[in-house]
Amino acid sequence: MRNTDRSSGLFWLVVGIGIAIGSLKYGFGTLHEPGPGFITFFAGAMLALLSLSLFFSSLRDQKDRSGFQSLWAGLDPGKILYVIFLLVAYTFLLKPVGFLISTFFLLFLLFRIKGTYRLKSVFLMSLLVTVGSYIVFEIWLKAQLPKGVLGF
Amino acid sequence: MDILHHIFYGLGVALQPVNLLFCFIGVLIGTLVGVLPGLGPVAAISLLLPATFRAPPVASIIMLSGIYYGAMYGGSTTSILINIPGEAASVVTCFDGYQMARRGRAGPALGIAAFASFIAGTLAVVGLAFMAPPLAAMALKFGPPEYFSLMVLGLTVLTFLAGGSMLKSLMMACFGVVIGNVGLDLITARPRFTFGLDILLDGVGLVPVVMGLFGISEVLLNVEEKLSERKIFKTEFKGLLPNLQDWKESIWPILRGSGLGFFLGILPGGGAVISSFVSYGVEKKLSKHPEEFGKGAIAGVAGPEAANNSATAGAFIPLLTLGLPSNAVMAILLGALMIYNMPPGPRLIISHPNLFWGVISSMYIGNLMLLVLNLPLIGVWVKILKVPYPILFPLILLFCLIGAYSLNNNPAEIGLMLIFGVLGYLMKKFKYDGAPLVLAMVLGPLMDNSLRQSLLMSGGSGMIFFTRPICLIIFGIVAIILLLPIFPLIGHFRKKMAESKESQ
Repeated sequence: MRNTDRSSGLFWLVVGIGIAIGSLKYGFGTLHEPGPGFITFFAGAMLALLSLSLFFSSLRDQKDRSGFQSLWAGLDPGKILYVIFLLVAYTFLLKPVGFLISTFFLLFLLFRIKGTYRLKSVFLMSLLVTVGSYIVFEIWLKAQLPKGVLGF
Repeated sequence: MDILHHIFYGLGVALQPVNLLFCFIGVLIGTLVGVLPGLGPVAAISLLLPATFRAPPVASIIMLSGIYYGAMYGGSTTSILINIPGEAASVVTCFDGYQMARRGRAGPALGIAAFASFIAGTLAVVGLAFMAPPLAAMALKFGPPEYFSLMVLGLTVLTFLAGGSMLKSLMMACFGVVIGNVGLDLITARPRFTFGLDILLDGVGLVPVVMGLFGISEVLLNVEEKLSERKIFKTEFKGLLPNLQDWKESIWPILRGSGLGFFLGILPGGGAVISSFVSYGVEKKLSKHPEEFGKGAIAGVAGPEAANNSATAGAFIPLLTLGLPSNAVMAILLGALMIYNMPPGPRLIISHPNLFWGVISSMYIGNLMLLVLNLPLIGVWVKILKVPYPILFPLILLFCLIGAYSLNNNPAEIGLMLIFGVLGYLMKKFKYDGAPLVLAMVLGPLMDNSLRQSLLMSGGSGMIFFTRPICLIIFGIVAIILLLPIFPLIGHFRKKMAESKESQ
């Protein structure tokens, strides 16, 4: 799978077929009385057909042999995975731990990803932003952020 | 004069203190996100949407629109000063605006950008006031088949204009239709594609999808870049006012750009972006000194800046008269109007005149505020530009996280946003456009509804779309647009065939 269009075409082909089959399960209905899966069946089938033609047109393109690696050449994909990991962890910890603590730690770690600031300033910035956003969203906009272990 | 009466009525609404305040907040935030790279108007509007649920609806829409056209102003500032467009519609401004700044004329460049935007915004508002009511009156005659064909046309034009691969854009539109139809089916009350998850019963939320596709993904793309310093042009902001010669060179480009932008803005799909490019091309063609373009021609700043601003006003026409959004921002506004229980469509002007005329007039006032905000306060915006990205991106992420959570006080919304964030990141990597997905997602349930109603009307015959004259015309246009990319291909094959015959 050398060409990027070829692989993404295959991916959407599978998604499209999956949607079309799934729609049949929800009920295609009849033309007189279309069921819940009517429009999603057509959308899925069209997605599959279009992906197929993307796949075949990418086969014709012999020059473009760039693979996955070319998309991340000269970049830092490890940082992406780290950021995503932090965000997922935040999602799971937000309710049980509470907004103030989880946000402080999230910011503390995020600020250090690209910056080369001293620990003390990172600590202060995180504290400042956490408290500031708490005041704006919880107190002014009454967003009801999760309280967690602190109780406020 | 009926129109004048309406405009004065609208001004009365827009000048109410609460609406003035919201308008000001809107254009202020708009300028801010326009200046900040990595946070565009789409993400900003979806971020603030949940916060407006408790505010008065008219004021909320005024504020959200303010963010949209305010971002067009702010975006030009970064284009001129650091050669980085704050958002897509200001890409063209970089060409000559940055060159002007390098020649020490940053002041007049910023000045003419602001004045061009102001003049164009004003003209477009007048155009909107004149064109919308008759269009709405015409749209009142439309039934479900006409609406369905209009939506198909909208999506097709979008994929045609969106730039990049039309095939991929069409694929994203199909996927968007499916995403839009996740949740309970309104007619049979049966769940579709919910995978047993409660959060999906009400459908996939527009806000987490948009913040994921346009906010989170943008941050991820920037995070993986190796660190680079953004250089801000050190220049004195003396004399922001363009001189007489500048005005002479700019006034016609501004007027042409305003007209161009307005009509291109009505078309679905990236109106502001395309119109700025078209305006640049037109001015270069018409100019007596085309060789000056790209080296700091003031007409190359004035025309496109006017065009992208009047395009934002033009984009409101399909939303307010037909109830059909023409770009991602309008799609979010459509969602907002639904939530405020003011479904947009041909009846909106009659049923909620305060909303329609109030919003239009507020755009006029907002343009005035932007002029005041942007010219004397340019120094403040330049300071904000200096906030380094390592500090900026955690803040953007935090806003998205809080915005998604506070939709329903449910962390699952954050999860949904992250999924679309990663999807959006990969889509950008593999060169898929997010706009058709969002637009199709909003249109999805409407398409489902109108298609099924049409088929019920016709007793199960798809011919209903070809026997009604308006539908027939619309589907004819759709067919032409879809076939356009094939024609060069046919020509290509004919040439190849001729060549192979000759060689035999």
